[in-house]
Amino acid sequence: MPSRHARLAVLAAAVAFLWGASALAQETAVVRVKLIQGDVPTDPLAPVWNTTPATEFPMSPQVHWPKRILQVTVKSIKVRGVHNTKQIAFLLEYADPTQDPADAAALEFMVGDKKAHFAHGQPMAQVEGGPVNIWYWRNDTPGAADMNAKGFGTLKKQAQQDVQARGVWKDEKTKVRFKERKLILRKDAKGEPAKDPKTGEPLFDEETKVVEQDATGVWHVVFTRALTTTDPNDAQFQLGTFPNIAFAVWDGKKLESGDLKESGSQKAVTSWWYFNAEPPTNYSIYLYGLIAVVVAAGVEYVIIRKVRKGQPA
Amino acid sequence: MKGAVLLVAVFVVFKFGAPLVTAPLPMSLIWLYLFLTTVGIVVYGTLSSESTEALLGPIFRFLSGEGLNGAAKFARLAVLMLVPLLVGWETYSDLVPSSQPPAENRTIHPAPPGEFVGLANPVPNTPENVMMGKGLYAAFCSPCHGPKFNGNGPSSDGFNPPPANFVDSGTIAQLQESYLFWRIKKGGVGLSVEGHPWKSAMPRWEVELPDEWIWKIIMAEYAGSGHKPRTWE
Repeated sequence: MPSRHARLAVLAAAVAFLWGASALAQETAVVRVKLIQGDVPTDPLAPVWNTTPATEFPMSPQVHWPKRILQVTVKSIKVRGVHNTKQIAFLLEYADPTQDPADAAALEFMVGDKKAHFAHGQPMAQVEGGPVNIWYWRNDTPGAADMNAKGFGTLKKQAQQDVQARGVWKDEKTKVRFKERKLILRKDAKGEPAKDPKTGEPLFDEETKVVEQDATGVWHVVFTRALTTTDPNDAQFQLGTFPNIAFAVWDGKKLESGDLKESGSQKAVTSWWYFNAEPPTNYSIYLYGLIAVVVAAGVEYVIIRKVRKGQPA
Repeated sequence: MKGAVLLVAVFVVFKFGAPLVTAPLPMSLIWLYLFLTTVGIVVYGTLSSESTEALLGPIFRFLSGEGLNGAAKFARLAVLMLVPLLVGWETYSDLVPSSQPPAENRTIHPAPPGEFVGLANPVPNTPENVMMGKGLYAAFCSPCHGPKFNGNGPSSDGFNPPPANFVDSGTIAQLQESYLFWRIKKGGVGLSVEGHPWKSAMPRWEVELPDEWIWKIIMAEYAGSGHKPRTWE
């Protein structure tokens, strides 16, 4: 019966459409800043953080400009966020085996509508970039520094300080995940080191695996600020949008030489990612959905009634 | 019936078949193809009164429910209920705030500035120069691009976008040496807006390395990745 086949085809198309829509969904690393009731926590160990989802970002040594570093202590950072439509708070958590006075962490944001390079908003050859707003916390300094920069050597503390921060180091056990890479000398059929037939150079194979190690010692650092401020040097945040965010961490351990293990441009960094401050639920969306259902059902009813009254093609 | 089968076939081909040979098509384009197919079916189906009856008759009978019973009757009811629900869901989906960041249409190989087009490598391609280039590559480039030239260096994990994989046939195998010279010399901040320079961690090596070293590094990248530079010939 043709009508039966037609119905099956419509059903198949609907199923394929729904299946296709879900296949399009694609998760990108975003810090989900959850809307909460009441004050945002200034305590890094506040219970609300236990129910706030974390996003983990791998970190790299800062290699973009001198002075570089090729090994860093912090391999990844977990970030959580909450807001109450007035204030926003970010919690950074990362493994660091020692608590040192010069341990430090920073968040970075773009200021205004212009794109800014993640390395302190340095100038770009073909794009007119904007400045960056940096929130900086250091273990031996109470509070936080609210800073901005537009290029190397321009980093300065702002006249208006809007950011608060507090860090707590806990001697707790944690797992650290990172990629471990090894070069293994390739052997030939006789078990001898294999060589490139053209150059005679020894040949290596690469082995990469994700390693999970136990670590002891975790920093929990909370940054808080108003979502919007009166300072034009600050990044301003609108609910529901996707501002860029980047992270930096310094292990301030003192080496035997007296130098700090990481300081200045020698730090662990990420490039730009996103965060999204959850907007309050807009219940009118459900109402509009319901109205659409009613209107569609009404149109269906009118069409069926007309067809039943008898105007076949 | 044939029209419905054709519509489903068009959807399946463009939605699931096309990604096998090219990039996935956006839904807006697939909807456009479905619309054009529908227009074609309607035009073809209304050429004569017989074909009009063949096209619209089953639809009218389905809508009126005449002669349907049992499972067919139940299926008709289900479809009639599903359609308003789908319309409501689509309305809700369009209005609900997006949980995904904006799509980033970054061009991986944007056009270089004119002064870097067609430059020839002035350093002779000798084993000694390639060897020296590999040493320079190991010192300056391999932390991110990896000792195996595959973008998997120990310092690569935190960067978004990740460092280029030179072994992949879609990177330096498609480019001339002059293009690499531009990218290495001017770094990420030298990219045009399509390349999203604000995200690139590639250093501006012109402030640290002489041009001759950069040309030698380029030779090493081709030798190490097993590719040859693209030429005009």
